[in-house]
Amino acid sequence: MANDEVVEDLHSQSRLRVGFVLVRDLLRFHPRIFALAVGGASIYAVCTVASSFGVTYLVDRIILPRFDSGKIDAGVYFIGASIVIGIGLLRAFGVVVRRSFAGVSNWRTVESISMLLVRQIMKQPVSWHKKKMTGDLVARVGVDSDAAAEVLGPLPFSTSVVLLVFLTGGWLIVVDVPLGLVAISVIPILLLLNVGYQRRIDKHYDTAQHELGALSSAVHESFDGVMVVKAFGAEERETRRLSVISTRLKDARIRAVSARSTFEALLDGVPSLVNILLLVIGAMRVESKSMSVGELTSFIYLFTLLIFPLRIIGYVLSSVPHSASGYKRVREVLDEPTMRDPLTLVLTSNTDVGVRLDGITFRYADDLPAVLVDITLEIAAGKTVVIVGATGSGKSTLLSVMAGLLQPDQGMVSIANRSSSIVFQEPFLFSGTIRNNIDMGRLLSDSVLHNSLFLAAADDFIGARDNGVDTVIGERGINLSGGQRQRIALARAIAQESAVLLLDDTTSALDTVTESTVIERLRASETIVTTVIVASRPSTIALADEVVFIENGKLSDQGHHEALIVANENYRSLMQSFEHDREQGGL
Amino acid sequence: MSEPVHRFGSARTIGRGMRVAPALSSGIGLTLLFAFIGTGARLVIPILIQLSIDNGLQIGNIRVAYIAWLGLIGSGFVLISSASLRVATKRLGTRAEEGLFTLRIKLFDHIHRLSLADHNDEKRGALVSRVTSDIETLTMFFSWGGLSLLLDGSQMIAVASVMLAYDWRLAVVAFLVSAPLVLVLRLVQSRLVHAHNISRERNAELLGVFSEMVSGAETLRAYDATNQMINTVAKDVRNRGDSNIRAGVIGAFLFPSGEVFAVFTVMAVVGAGLLIGPAGGLSAGALVGFVFLTYRFLEPIAEFTEVIDQTQSAVASLRRVLGVLDTPIGPPQPSMPIELPKGDLSIDFVDVSFAYGSRLDEDDDTPVLNSINLHIPGGQHIALVGPSGSGKTTLARLIARLADPTVGSVMLGGVPLHRVGNDDLRRRLIVVPQEPFLFAESIAYNLRFALPDATDGQLLEVFSDLEIDDWLDALPQGIHTNVGQRGSSLSAGERQLIALVRAAVVRPDVLILDEATSSVDALTEVRISKALSKLAKGRTTVSIAHRLSTAARADRVILLERGRIVEDGSHQQLLAALGPYAKQYETWVASTQSNLEL
Repeated sequence: MANDEVVEDLHSQSRLRVGFVLVRDLLRFHPRIFALAVGGASIYAVCTVASSFGVTYLVDRIILPRFDSGKIDAGVYFIGASIVIGIGLLRAFGVVVRRSFAGVSNWRTVESISMLLVRQIMKQPVSWHKKKMTGDLVARVGVDSDAAAEVLGPLPFSTSVVLLVFLTGGWLIVVDVPLGLVAISVIPILLLLNVGYQRRIDKHYDTAQHELGALSSAVHESFDGVMVVKAFGAEERETRRLSVISTRLKDARIRAVSARSTFEALLDGVPSLVNILLLVIGAMRVESKSMSVGELTSFIYLFTLLIFPLRIIGYVLSSVPHSASGYKRVREVLDEPTMRDPLTLVLTSNTDVGVRLDGITFRYADDLPAVLVDITLEIAAGKTVVIVGATGSGKSTLLSVMAGLLQPDQGMVSIANRSSSIVFQEPFLFSGTIRNNIDMGRLLSDSVLHNSLFLAAADDFIGARDNGVDTVIGERGINLSGGQRQRIALARAIAQESAVLLLDDTTSALDTVTESTVIERLRASETIVTTVIVASRPSTIALADEVVFIENGKLSDQGHHEALIVANENYRSLMQSFEHDREQGGL
Repeated sequence: MSEPVHRFGSARTIGRGMRVAPALSSGIGLTLLFAFIGTGARLVIPILIQLSIDNGLQIGNIRVAYIAWLGLIGSGFVLISSASLRVATKRLGTRAEEGLFTLRIKLFDHIHRLSLADHNDEKRGALVSRVTSDIETLTMFFSWGGLSLLLDGSQMIAVASVMLAYDWRLAVVAFLVSAPLVLVLRLVQSRLVHAHNISRERNAELLGVFSEMVSGAETLRAYDATNQMINTVAKDVRNRGDSNIRAGVIGAFLFPSGEVFAVFTVMAVVGAGLLIGPAGGLSAGALVGFVFLTYRFLEPIAEFTEVIDQTQSAVASLRRVLGVLDTPIGPPQPSMPIELPKGDLSIDFVDVSFAYGSRLDEDDDTPVLNSINLHIPGGQHIALVGPSGSGKTTLARLIARLADPTVGSVMLGGVPLHRVGNDDLRRRLIVVPQEPFLFAESIAYNLRFALPDATDGQLLEVFSDLEIDDWLDALPQGIHTNVGQRGSSLSAGERQLIALVRAAVVRPDVLILDEATSSVDALTEVRISKALSKLAKGRTTVSIAHRLSTAARADRVILLERGRIVEDGSHQQLLAALGPYAKQYETWVASTQSNLEL
């Protein structure tokens, strides 16, 4: 949607102005490469004009004398051939230089823009990332960067067209003033025709683009939900729904085709008619001895050469709005200030304290209610503690605050040695080997690696793979289950050898037996000092030394599970509802 | 269909495409004719120049009136040919859009009917890009490359014919000198296409890397591994740029090849013309006109080199699209369906084995179910239990005929499933999947997905039947509340509730429930289990049980392991048997018992 607005916006503004600012910014990246491309374009333009001399020479010095007087002069022929072929080759050289360096300039600029974005995105803390949509960011680094620099590809060509128009215009007038004026008059006509055409057709293409977006998300949804579609026998209904959107897309495209066919015909016809006019007027000029037949012929030849670039200049200009909207989306990310990394605000806790929170209040946005309200608590070093609460009570947020990933609006976080490692609810594994995923770019000793895998109870299933820890994740045929992914992510956190391990519902994807193995191993380990687990399974809660009970973002109670059962009525009823299901099972 | 389409050559692929979407080729002859006339305008100028030089511009005999008449006639030709050009362009564009529309709709229909094995997460992205980006590639081709091929091809043929008509000797010289261009084009073309393929691959890879970087940003930050990622990305970005530049440079050399050949050809033609001279029946005008024709003849080459890559990728896209259309659809429909009997429906498995395997992925064929024999009487509630990968979900899918057994047969109400009509089956049997899918629309929209004609009143009634109307009343806009993308504005438990209501709307005789594993808050959990037991009452129900409490509630428990039935009996019987089920149950009870001292 935002994209459409940008495009709309650009239509109303002067396209030239937008284009100027865009190009000025883009050229700052690699000006020298671009200059080479423009150099090639200039050679092309100059040779194009020069090639008309060749034609004059051919007609006046070689062809007409042969047919008038019957004499063939081999010397003159070879001079003519050298002129025509030499200029032709030089012109081709100009084209090669222009196109090659236009490509280099385009892609090197894309690289520069992408890397600026990548560095900026990697600099932003997790709290910034939480507010962004993954797909949108990927689009900005990928397709938007590509689009932003796209205008650089055809730009050297445009400069050569401008040069060509001036050179040819000047030359045509030098050759013959009245004829030159007629020929030049076609330039503004074609330019206006082009601009008008682009305006009209862009409207249809924008509509089509919009419908394509709608179709694409409808298709995603429909294929994602194919199970439901099949379960309710709704295949035909879904096809009908999608075909309605496809019809709108098709209709917009056909309107564009219709507009385009008219303009194509005009762009083809108008120059031909002007060309005929030039011939008739030219005949009068030849009659009045103002020019030679050779000059008239080369005049017409030159005019033909001028037409092609003028025809496609509109197409070149049409890439400006597309590039500009891509560049705008790129700038939005680059211009955002780098947010402060909340990790830098985490303090070192006193000895014997694993985690300490002082008056933590947190909200996701200023206009949203607080998710965490004035939480103060202390977790002794070496304990295994669970955070318990109903869905939406703020457990995961609390854990992210402890990890220094989210910055509290008020309050202070202190962590033993300021070192903690968090394992997210949805573990993210990178493509690459299991080892890469655990060492995260550090060189780990095999003993640390294997100890981490053992503690995470990931040693058995990884050991069963042919390549062990060097097994490539995501390679065909290796499908890790949710529980296996969780255990690899857990091993990654353990390998950091932090003083505090923070697990966000990490063990929920494990069966209860594996879960208790993991927790027992962690408790027995000497490397892991304090473990904080967000949990909602009674089995997990039962394994903890201590429970932190959160209600509506406030600390409700802290203590041993059995003590809380007795003392805290809300806690008891939450536990009862966890049990409820089993009660119904008829026990 | 005996030979897979990915082995088809370009011509055969295009032929197949035209048969699938006839609009693409309908009236192509007439379109060609118009295109032919349409390029005529480009011939008018050289011919006029020839006539003028020969008859109107002789030295000392300039006939302006004659040339003016010629100009008038020429203008008439230009107008006619421009009009033809417009018709040709419009015909081609419109028909291409119509044809691609047909192709797209055929794809939608076909993909919706593919078996679930072809719809797993990995393949879904590919299926989506078939109907979006592949069809778009074809659209791009028809509106740019295809149009160029049509017009430029017509131009070359028209110019060549006029050249031959003017002077066949000069024409032969021109053709001979420019012939090696064909070799040059062929030679470089394959390298160009290869270079473009590589850059396309690199582009796709890079998008994957970007997406991994952004999705993994939290982890990268949390583990301070951003620099490592930046280095990887920088390398891929550079590689991608290099491959695109390489393709661009090859294209840059190829682009002016037509012009280079043109200057040599022109000089050869002039040379030959001089030798032939007036004695050979050649005129000055004809030779000058011929020079112009030669330029016009080789003019389209530049554009050809531009569309080579577009043409290749269009053919590749078409091939992929046809490949999907050739993938056999899911369980085929019976030609003579047998109606299901009224009332309760029993379920029978007779020697059923099943292996996943699809045309899109031929290696994957490990058997998931092995010689299953099972009778479920009408109205019985059974629970399928077993470790993940034991075949529970597959067994349920076979009952719902979301797939057909590889060996053996499944019967519903005594009728073999492959003889039951799809509409009949979907009215009588409903599946509630583990992760119920909701469309980004209102609750009512999602419920009507099951029964399009249901009134609001009927829908509300189902909520009260399942005793969850209190939950609905608490929502801001009741059944008109929008559920968000994939139901994201509801909790996982609430999504399950909607899925249960959606199933209940149909009032099916057979219910297949895949219990969710994700954690659900306590209150919703209570609502779900209440609604579930209401829903299951009086219906043949198959639950895939992840919680053993569900199993304990069922009439009968079936324990699966590695695709075989290991135990079968009531909960109490199996506990008494002290087999594997009893053992699992014991562990489970121990783990959920949180020392509740009440």
